[in-house]
Amino acid sequence: MSASSASVSLARAPVLATRELVKRFPGVTALGGVSFELLPGEVHALCGENGAGKSTLIKLLSGIHPFGSYEGLLFAAGSEVQFTSTRDAEAAGIAVIYQELALVPEMTVAENLCLGHAPLRRGLIDWDRVYADAARVLEMAKIELDPTTEVRKLGVAERQLVEIAKALSKNPKVLILDEPTAALSEDEVRRLLDVVRDLRARGIAAIYISHKFDEVFAIADRITVLRDGKSITTLETKNTTPDEVIRHMVGRPITELFPRRASTPGGVLLSVSGLTVAERRDAPPRLRGVSFEVRAGEVLGIGGLMGAGRTELLLHLFGAWGRRIAGKVRLAEISLDSPTPHRALAAGLALVSEDRKRYGLFLESAIGFNLSLSSLSRVSRRGLVDEDAEVARSRALFDSLRVKAPGLETAVRTLSGGNQQKVVIGKALMTEPKVLLLDEPTRGIDVGAKLEVYELVNRLCSEGKAIVLVSSELPELLGMSDRIVMLSEGKIGGTFSRAEATQERLLSAALGRPGAPQKEAESS
Amino acid sequence: MKTTLKSALRDYSMLLALAAIWAFFGLEHPVFLSSRNLSLLLIELSITASLALGMLLVLLPAQIDLAAGSGVGLAGAIAAVLIFSHGAPALLALFVATVACVVIWALMGALIVRQRIPAFIITLGGLLVFKGVHWLTIKGQTVPVSEGGKNNAYSLLTTYYLPPLAGFALGALVIAGFAFFLLRARARRASYGFKVPDNERSFLTLFIAAQLVFLLVIVTNQYRGVPLPALILGTLALAVYVLTAHTPFGRYLYAIGSNEEAALISGVPIERTVIVAFALMGGIVALTGFMQTAYAGASTSTVGSLMELDAVAACVIGGTSLRGGRGSVTGVLFGALIMASLLNGMTLMAVSPEIKFIARGVVLALAVWVDVKLNSD
Repeated sequence: MSASSASVSLARAPVLATRELVKRFPGVTALGGVSFELLPGEVHALCGENGAGKSTLIKLLSGIHPFGSYEGLLFAAGSEVQFTSTRDAEAAGIAVIYQELALVPEMTVAENLCLGHAPLRRGLIDWDRVYADAARVLEMAKIELDPTTEVRKLGVAERQLVEIAKALSKNPKVLILDEPTAALSEDEVRRLLDVVRDLRARGIAAIYISHKFDEVFAIADRITVLRDGKSITTLETKNTTPDEVIRHMVGRPITELFPRRASTPGGVLLSVSGLTVAERRDAPPRLRGVSFEVRAGEVLGIGGLMGAGRTELLLHLFGAWGRRIAGKVRLAEISLDSPTPHRALAAGLALVSEDRKRYGLFLESAIGFNLSLSSLSRVSRRGLVDEDAEVARSRALFDSLRVKAPGLETAVRTLSGGNQQKVVIGKALMTEPKVLLLDEPTRGIDVGAKLEVYELVNRLCSEGKAIVLVSSELPELLGMSDRIVMLSEGKIGGTFSRAEATQERLLSAALGRPGAPQKEAESS
Repeated sequence: MKTTLKSALRDYSMLLALAAIWAFFGLEHPVFLSSRNLSLLLIELSITASLALGMLLVLLPAQIDLAAGSGVGLAGAIAAVLIFSHGAPALLALFVATVACVVIWALMGALIVRQRIPAFIITLGGLLVFKGVHWLTIKGQTVPVSEGGKNNAYSLLTTYYLPPLAGFALGALVIAGFAFFLLRARARRASYGFKVPDNERSFLTLFIAAQLVFLLVIVTNQYRGVPLPALILGTLALAVYVLTAHTPFGRYLYAIGSNEEAALISGVPIERTVIVAFALMGGIVALTGFMQTAYAGASTSTVGSLMELDAVAACVIGGTSLRGGRGSVTGVLFGALIMASLLNGMTLMAVSPEIKFIARGVVLALAVWVDVKLNSD
C-alpha cells in the first residue's frame, strides 16, 4: 500500500501545532517538551511506548487538561489557543475518538449520534431529522448500519464505527483517533482506514495513534515519535521503516519481535476433552466439542476470528462464563467440572482477561491492593492479612515486572496501559499458577511492553508453567506459540505445530475451510 | 500528595462542622456541654454509630440495608417480649433475638446475591415486613425490657456505668494500645519504604487522642462514669476496623464495591462475602436494637423508626460512597457524631420534630455536597 497520495505542502499553515508542551503531575513529568505540527489534509501518526505521553498529549489537545495546567503553546489554524474545556476544543474543530467507547447501549445509533445536540422543533425532539441526519452521517462515513438499531445489539467493532460517525457529525477539522482498531478485525480495520483516507481527501487532518505498524504505515503521511514525554523526531512515512520507528521509540534497536525460545514440554498440565458449552441453559452451544492439552513448559496459542469462542473458552475454563453441557477439564490431577474463579485459582489456574479495565483492575485502588487481591489467603495468618508477607510478595512482582510507577501505593488509574497490564499479570502470577490463561495480553500496549510480556512468557515456560495464549494477531500466535489451535465458530478448525503453521493455514482453519489440516489435538 | 491534602481537608471540614455544631449548641444552650448531657450524647452516639458501622459493611460492597431501622425495633421487641411476657432469662432472650437477626439478614444477603434481587428492593421489603412483625410481636403494647423495674442484662445495657477508677484504667489502656499500634504501623510502613507521616504529626495525633480520651473519662466520671454503650461501640469499632482494614474479607468488600466483575475474575468469593456482610449487619442490628430499646426503657411501636436513614447519613457524611468501594471506620464515627450531636442538641432546645427532620436532611445534603466538591478534580 502506498503511504500517501496526498502531497504534503509545507507551505500551508498547520491546522494544529504544539510548541514545547510540558505537563507535570505530582511526582511525574508526563510531557517534557513536545513540539509537533499537523498539516491540513495529512494523517499524522503518533508512536511511542507506554507512558511516552501520547494520552497526555491528546488530553491537552482536546481540552481535558485545561489551559493553565501545562506549560508551552498550543496553536490551531495558525493562532494560539487556550482551551479551558473540551467544548473549546470542539469549537476549534477537534474531535477525539477515545479507546474507551462512550456510547449509551440502550439508545439507538441515531440517538447516540445526536446525543447532547438533538435537533428540536418547537421544543420537542425532531425525530425525523434525528434519523435523517444519522443516515446522512453514516453514509458519509461509508458505515453500513441501521440508525434505528440499539447500540447494545452491536459488536465492539460496530460500536467503534458509530463512535467515528459521532465524531464526524460535529464536522471536525481535526480528527484524533486513539487506538481505533484495538478491537477490530482485519476487514473492519480496512474499512476504517478507507474512511480515514476518504476524510483526508476532503481535507480533514487526522492524528492517528496505534501500536500496529502495518496500519500506521498504510495510513500515515508522517510519523512523530514520542519517548519519555518528549517528541523525538518526525519522519516522512515513505522515507522510513518500522525498524527505524521502533528504534526511535525504544531508544535501542530491537532485533527480534518475538523472542520465543524453544522449550522441552513436560507432562500434561491442562487437559480439555469434548467441551461443549452454552451461554445459558437453553441457548445454542457456543463451544462445541473442544479438546486440547497443554504441557508444562509449553505455550499453546489459540486463534480464531471474532466470535469464534476464544474468550468464551478461557472464561469458561476459569469458571466465569457459560453452562457446560458436556466435556471434562482436568488441571494436573484436579478435575474442574463446576469451576468458579475462586476454585480455579485454588487449583492453580489463573486468567489475564482481554479487558483489563473491566475484568482486571481496581482503578482507584493502589497497585499493592490490586496485586495481592487474588492471593490474600496465601499472605494471611489467623484470618489477618500479614502485611510483611504481602508487601514482600507485591514488591518482588513490582520489581520483576518492572512496573513504571512511584511505588506500591500509587493508584492504578494513573498508570499507562502497559503498566496496568503488568499489574493484571502480576496479580495472576502472585497466585503461583500452574497454568496461565492469557487473553490478548498485548492488546493496546506498545512494542517495548509487548517484548517484556513475551520475555515473561519465556521465563514462565522455563519455570515449568503451561501457558494458553489467545491472540487475534496471527504474527503473535506464530511467533510465540509451540502449538496453535484455531477455533472456528466454537469448534476446533485445526491444530498446528509451530513448524507446520503458516498465516495462510491458520486463516483457512479459522474460516473452517476444508483443506485445512485437521489433526487431533492429542497427537502432539 | 494531592489526594492526601484533599482527604485531610475533608477530615478537617468534618471537624470544623462538628466544632460549629457544638459551639452553636453550647452557646445557645449551655446544658449541652454539661457532663450529664455529654454522657447521654455518648450513649446516643454509641447507638447511632453502631448501626452505621454495620451499614458500612454493606455499603462497601455497593449494597444497602433499608431494613436496619425496622430490624432494630424487631430485635428489641423479641427480646423484651421473651423476658417480660415469657419470663425468659435476659441473656437467653438477647441471644435468641441476635440469632434470629443474623439468620434473617444472611437470608436477605443470599436472596440478593443468589437470586439477583437488588438489595434496595429486598431490604425495602424487609423494612415493611419487620415493622409489621415488630408490631405483631408487641401487640401494640409498650413492653418493658425488664420485669417490675428490676435490673437485668438487657436494661443494664444503657444504665450501667463503669466505676471512675475503672474508667481511668480503661482510658490508660486505650491510649497505650493506640500508641503501640500507631508506632508499630509507622515502623512497618517505614520498613516497606512507604511514606510515613513526620514525627511531629504522629506525636500530635497521639497527644490529641490521649487528651480526648482522658477528657472523655473525666467528663463522664463527673456524671456516673463511662457508660457501657461507649465500651460496646469502642469494641465494635475496633472489630469493624480490623475486619475492613486487615482481613481478606475486608479487602473483598472494597474490591466488590469498586469493580464487581474484576472482583469475580480475581477469585473473590462474592456471594459468600456479601452474605457474611449481611449476617454481620444482622448481628449489629440486633445489638443496636437492644441498646436503643433499653435506652427507651421499653419496646414501643416507634423504636428504631427511620434509624436506617440516620445510619446511611452517618456513613455518607463520613465519606462512604453509596456506589461502594470507599469508606472507613473513622469517617463513619465522625459522621455518626455529627448526626447524634445535631439530634441531641435540637432535642435539648425543644426543637419541634418537623424542624428536626428538616435540619437533618439539610445537613446530610450539605455534607455530601461539600464531599463532592472536595473530591472533584
